[in-house]
Amino acid sequence: MPTLFRSFQEFLKKPKGAAYLFILPAFITLLIFTIIPLVNAVVISFQNLTIFLAPPKFVGLSNFSRLLQDDRFWNALKNSFYFLLEVPFQVILGLLVAVFLSKNTLFRKFARTIFFVPTICSLTAIAIVWSFLLDAQIGIFPYYLTQIGLPQLQFLSDPNMAMPTIILTTVWKNFGMTMMILIAGIQSIPNSYYEASQMDGANGVVQFFRITLPLLIPSLGFCIITNTIGSLQVFDQIYVMTQGGPLHTTETLVMYIYNVGFSTQPFDLSYASAIAVVLFLLIMGISLMTNNYLTRRETVDISEG
Amino acid sequence: MAKKITPGQTFVFITMALLLIVVLFPFFWLMITTFKIDTDIVKYPPTLFGSTYTVSSYIKVWQSLPLLDFLKNTVIFAGSVTLISVLFDSMAGYAFARFNFLGKKGLFIFILITMMIPFQVLMIPLFIEVYRLGILNTYAGLILPRMADAFGIFLMRSSFVSLPKELEEAARVDGYNEFQIFFRIMMPLSKPALITLGIINLMGNWNDLLYPLMLTSTTKMRTISAGLALFVGQRTLEYGPTLAAAAISLLPLVIVYIFAQKYFVQGIATTGLKG
Repeated sequence: MPTLFRSFQEFLKKPKGAAYLFILPAFITLLIFTIIPLVNAVVISFQNLTIFLAPPKFVGLSNFSRLLQDDRFWNALKNSFYFLLEVPFQVILGLLVAVFLSKNTLFRKFARTIFFVPTICSLTAIAIVWSFLLDAQIGIFPYYLTQIGLPQLQFLSDPNMAMPTIILTTVWKNFGMTMMILIAGIQSIPNSYYEASQMDGANGVVQFFRITLPLLIPSLGFCIITNTIGSLQVFDQIYVMTQGGPLHTTETLVMYIYNVGFSTQPFDLSYASAIAVVLFLLIMGISLMTNNYLTRRETVDISEG
Repeated sequence: MAKKITPGQTFVFITMALLLIVVLFPFFWLMITTFKIDTDIVKYPPTLFGSTYTVSSYIKVWQSLPLLDFLKNTVIFAGSVTLISVLFDSMAGYAFARFNFLGKKGLFIFILITMMIPFQVLMIPLFIEVYRLGILNTYAGLILPRMADAFGIFLMRSSFVSLPKELEEAARVDGYNEFQIFFRIMMPLSKPALITLGIINLMGNWNDLLYPLMLTSTTKMRTISAGLALFVGQRTLEYGPTLAAAAISLLPLVIVYIFAQKYFVQGIATTGLKG
């Protein structure tokens, strides 16, 4: 046994053995707290488990067949896609601002710093602030709008306005991130391209469509894909601002999972898991479709390495 | 030679100035409103400025919410997760960057897969698992699941890949073992990437809502986001103190941002360029 231990020690001293030791803590963490829960999520969705954790029974596909007839599920799915409208608004605003602010002047640097501030703030606090600003009774924005002749708007309690309102506040919160990523992309475009095109008489608009936009496609793609995946997981601002209401018009898939499993009787964890599995398939689908795009460089590096 | 200012430039400048106002206004409003008296906050028509100013909202929130507990929990949770995950992620990233070993590609794909799983899919089984392990509503339950993440491993890997090979060869000649090479040579050289990852993790965990909301069950264990969201949800607090609590939760990260701006921006830029 001591010799075995010693030879194990010797093995670890060599680079190859050390490599496994370096990976071990991260591997164990990811295995126990990501992979095992993933497998269990699928298992639970075939059972009838509630939050009281009584021994569950296998119920087959009944949770999934229940989904098909559940209007509230279809409504949540529709709302999740509705919320995806946030992505084009946010990316276009981020792109325009990035183009205007990509040069390093004092004013532009200052503006960038400020536009990035909302992205570091917690969604919870930001959502609280916005729900006050937009409140129908005491909010300052609805009041200002009545001063310019609009009716008293119920931003968060009108079923038709709640989702657009949440989308706009999310754009406000997130466009700074897109802007930063795109500025980094624009700044890595060689200046000589612009100089050459200028000699050929191209103006700013032509340069934008012929040089900036085509060369930004990779960064733009990254922003669109990560924001789409992130938007399908939207929760915090909805939880704080509307809790899914009014009339379930802002209840997205994640909000519905939370409401089914954790906030309303009978705390049906299995049914919530079934919804989660659908969400997973949705996101996995998008990830796989765009997988090559996001990981090509990583895996190429690895196979060469 | 005077620089000619085109109408286009004027338009851009005015648009940016307006956007600055739109972005700053809610913060400005929050700052003023937390010092207003409650009758000024709820009066109609609403006004931006109050008739008189006071710190009573801050005193009230301090008395009615266990804010000190919330802050302590957030610091312990976000701080430990940040320190541990930066260490584990850089160790794993280092192995992928500098070593060749059997199963490297398989392990890499394994980690890649974990990056594609949204948290909402894991939350129910994770909740049950943490409960069965007997660490629900404890610091261990909050910290352990977040000790490593795929994003951090990729970020650190791309930082270690760029270091010259001669470094470790020279160190090996000097009789350093692999761990000494990592801790004494590689880690210090990767300081910018380590700080970037640290800030990203600190920010993510500090602001996270759903995760601490699920894995804690008593007021004493809540983090600031979770505690705040619950109290606002119950509508037990007056308006002034609610906003004061929101302001208190924002302040620490804004301060970190002001002093470490460079690393925030650097981290974001490298993330995007990878695509």
